[in-house]
Amino acid sequence: MTLTDPVNSAKSDPAHAGPVKLVDHVNAINWNRIQDDKDLEVWNRLVNNFWLPEKVPLSNDVQSWNTLSPDEQQTTMRVFTGLTLLDTIQGTVGAVSLIPDSLTPHEEAVYTNIAFMESVHAKSYSSIFSTLCSTKDIDDAFRWSVENEHLQKKASIVMEYYRGDEPLKRKVASTLLESFLFYSGFYLPMYWSSRAKLTNTADLIRLIIRDEAVHGYYIGYKFQRGLELVDQAKRDEIKDYTFSLLYELYDNEVQYTQSLYDGLGLTEDVKKFLHYNANKALMNLGYESMFPSSVTDVNPAILASLSPNADENHDFFSGSGSSYVIGKAVNTEDEDWDF
Amino acid sequence: MDYHALNAMLNLYSADGKIQFEKDKEAAREYFLQHVNQNTVFFHSLKERLDYLVEKEYYEPETLGMYSFEFIQKLNDLAYSKKFRFETFLGAFKYYTSYTLKTFDGKRYLERFEDRVVMTALGLAQGDEQLATDLVEEIIAGRFQPATPTFLNTGKAQRGELVSCFLLRIEDNMESISRGINSSLQLSKRGGGVALLLSNIRESGAPIKQIENQSSGIIPVMKLLEDSFSYANQLGARQGAGAVYLSAHHPDIMRFLDTKRENADEKIRIKTLSLGVVVPDITFELAKNNEDMYLFSPYDVERVYGKPFGDVPITENYRAMVDDPRIKKTKINAREFFQTIAEIQFESGYPYIVFEDTVNKANPIKGRINMSNLCSEILQVNTPTTYNEDLSYAQIGKDISCNLGSMNIALSMDSPDLGKTVETAIRGLTAVSNMSHISSVRSVEDGNDKSHAIGLGQMNLHGYLARERIHYGSEEGIDFTNIYFYTVLFHALRASNRIAIERGEAFDGFAESKYASGEFFDKYTDAAWVPQTARVIELFADAGVHIPTQHDWQELKASIQEHGIYNQNLQAVPPTGSISYINNSTSSIHPIASKIEIRKEGKLGRVYYPAPFMTNDNLEYYEDAYEIGYEKVIDTYAAATQHVDQGLSLTLFFKDTATTRDINKAQIYAWRKGIKTIYYIRLRQLALEGTNMSECVSCML
Repeated sequence: MTLTDPVNSAKSDPAHAGPVKLVDHVNAINWNRIQDDKDLEVWNRLVNNFWLPEKVPLSNDVQSWNTLSPDEQQTTMRVFTGLTLLDTIQGTVGAVSLIPDSLTPHEEAVYTNIAFMESVHAKSYSSIFSTLCSTKDIDDAFRWSVENEHLQKKASIVMEYYRGDEPLKRKVASTLLESFLFYSGFYLPMYWSSRAKLTNTADLIRLIIRDEAVHGYYIGYKFQRGLELVDQAKRDEIKDYTFSLLYELYDNEVQYTQSLYDGLGLTEDVKKFLHYNANKALMNLGYESMFPSSVTDVNPAILASLSPNADENHDFFSGSGSSYVIGKAVNTEDEDWDF
Repeated sequence: MDYHALNAMLNLYSADGKIQFEKDKEAAREYFLQHVNQNTVFFHSLKERLDYLVEKEYYEPETLGMYSFEFIQKLNDLAYSKKFRFETFLGAFKYYTSYTLKTFDGKRYLERFEDRVVMTALGLAQGDEQLATDLVEEIIAGRFQPATPTFLNTGKAQRGELVSCFLLRIEDNMESISRGINSSLQLSKRGGGVALLLSNIRESGAPIKQIENQSSGIIPVMKLLEDSFSYANQLGARQGAGAVYLSAHHPDIMRFLDTKRENADEKIRIKTLSLGVVVPDITFELAKNNEDMYLFSPYDVERVYGKPFGDVPITENYRAMVDDPRIKKTKINAREFFQTIAEIQFESGYPYIVFEDTVNKANPIKGRINMSNLCSEILQVNTPTTYNEDLSYAQIGKDISCNLGSMNIALSMDSPDLGKTVETAIRGLTAVSNMSHISSVRSVEDGNDKSHAIGLGQMNLHGYLARERIHYGSEEGIDFTNIYFYTVLFHALRASNRIAIERGEAFDGFAESKYASGEFFDKYTDAAWVPQTARVIELFADAGVHIPTQHDWQELKASIQEHGIYNQNLQAVPPTGSISYINNSTSSIHPIASKIEIRKEGKLGRVYYPAPFMTNDNLEYYEDAYEIGYEKVIDTYAAATQHVDQGLSLTLFFKDTATTRDINKAQIYAWRKGIKTIYYIRLRQLALEGTNMSECVSCML
């Protein structure tokens, strides 16, 4: 049972013609009546994964930062301003815009968590900046992000779909953002960490990747549930739409990648990484791959560093690692103390 | 392909689902071809090399001056004749990144592994050609590996200390607190990890000069220490690191734990300082009865008992202290206390735990143990230092330093003479103690001069068991651990006894120890220690390793009672991070954390390390620590603990399905089994199904 039928109500209600809609009817959420177990599973996972940037000793990277050349530093900062923009969109618009489309009340709650964590991510980049760079460099990098046409285009494409009135298309845009668009930026910190540079920054980014992996997976999952509620003609339309949006974003992403990475000579490798993640995004949406394996052979050092499992054996004295979670507190019982 | 990419392929399955061990070998080879060989300074001869390194102030002339050039040449030839090769990429990468001597600009290498081994042996042998030869034999064969500071620094002209580990008391006065901070800076600068005892410091709200509510307690002291450690590092080679220990019954205990909370305020949050809690038996008793536990004001206890809070045995005095109106007290629920510890361990891995009464019951030395160190394996007695008004010393107490080195269990079992391997290791470690003079921290210097304490460790237990096709934590695995540690203890004591005879000197306080009284030996002379399983009997027989008999022990006891032993402490099993990679070992006596371990460090980045002796055919013996579960790990440690005078770093591993109750149960189990300390709690969180990467070896369950 759903309280309302948000998939249809969002479309049919003329009162929702504004850019961002609110849920029109709210009932008290009852977590003891779960309609989709995935909601609870993902909620628990997200809560356990909660973290704040203050947890990571970024200042340990200051020495390492100083070993990067000015070009490398500039590229790194630009990458992070780009990511900041995307996370800001996802936190303030993207995840929030998905709420009215929810199939279950628990899904709404999950999106509020996603929205908050995206804001944490956006703030994390500022923590990196303020730890490693001077104010002038930070301002320059943000200025670049405003002036880079490819980055701005990427943002405006996604924003356009968030503003649109099709719930399923919003989910597609959101999944592509979470599972695909972030990764041109994630490449660089993974690359540095495989070369023993900025390893604590990489830890923080890996925490973000850990979150984005769950977000992309969940939104994609909800997209597939939503797809089950529409007819075949609609499904075909959505699929066409998905692939054409992905092409549009991909073309832009290639140019964005060139503008970022040509200086470091990494563009070709980053493109493979884009292909790999585009396939992942499609997989999350339940579609077949777009890129053949011949163009997704990412540098193994990057691929292996992506594992979202928090299983690395880190050195406690130089970093905090990404493996600690908020635990489940359970009281001990008398039998436990039977000695 | 570049070596990082090849190494990373170790973590990706091949097309037919196999682990690609050969890619790691290729990575190691490419690392030498693409990087090391091109960046190593070439010398035509050893003579030319040594002259250059001494002249340019890379090597200490004193070290080389103790030997003839002919002998050094011979030792050099011996080392190179062994055809040493790194088994893994990480081993080679770690060695060249962190240990080998580099030009001052950091760009070119001046040593190969063999050169470092020879220099370490020459330095430690202090002119004794036989010992230098023995050390080269043991180290190059991989049977004995000195700890990082010793192996990194010996013989270099620009270097830190050879000792890794320091433990300092802080007393309840400003002189002692500021001295503690000063000493921390000095010791960090020299490459040590420093642990400090906070139990004696008065709680927040305690009176100062009899005026109530004046003290701000231990948290500001922790903040000062944390900043001190992040400031000082050893020429950038090793980050300063520190730990603080606090009694469970100190009134600030909950605040202490809360500094590690995820959502702690920045003002009180502790990021890089490690925490340890000292837990007496009474706390368990109180939790068992589901009683409240009282926390006692250290300020009042010191006035009532006439000694610092940390030196007062809580279990013995608990009821009396509760009834004593002169002691201010607060209370918390004992079970909630344990649950809070578990919660914080979930979030941060901390605190370490020292089981105070277990530790003191097993301690053969007169005095009291009230803390441990940064890796929770050092357990020694200490005494307070007092100061004059001008901050000079009134009475120099005894603080603790410990130098470590570990044996590779697999290779030591292959040793032509296990007794000699142990003896060489003990002599090498003793040399480090004799060569160390930390004059900037007098309490440490004095303590070392009096006690010559060392810590012989062990590693590669899991690697050895798997090689012999024995499951970690199985009956045979525990049986082997017991008899191996039993045998090592015998040889370690015998070696220390021989040194005492040669030098005509036992450690200060020997006469009051349980070695002198003979009590220590009762358990070995009263009963026979023999393997219980056929497989372990076979292992020792095949290796030609003699298992000491009751008769052997009686002889040793007599000799020790007559001549003493040179070292106050002999064994401590450290966690062995870096050196186990170089040595191709599994860490310490832990199970492996993963078949392919992802190692992340500031200087290395993310690198992949295969468990030793593992092939695609024997994977079943390489269950990881999370699969093995805490009982088998604790049982294995318990078997070893009974033969180790100090502690053993024991990490517990949990899947993220565990709750705080599971962690509490593990702690109770460990305490009941006679474990002395618990090091980290590690949690493994698996990716949500659907988000993981199926290609990844380390993601596999």
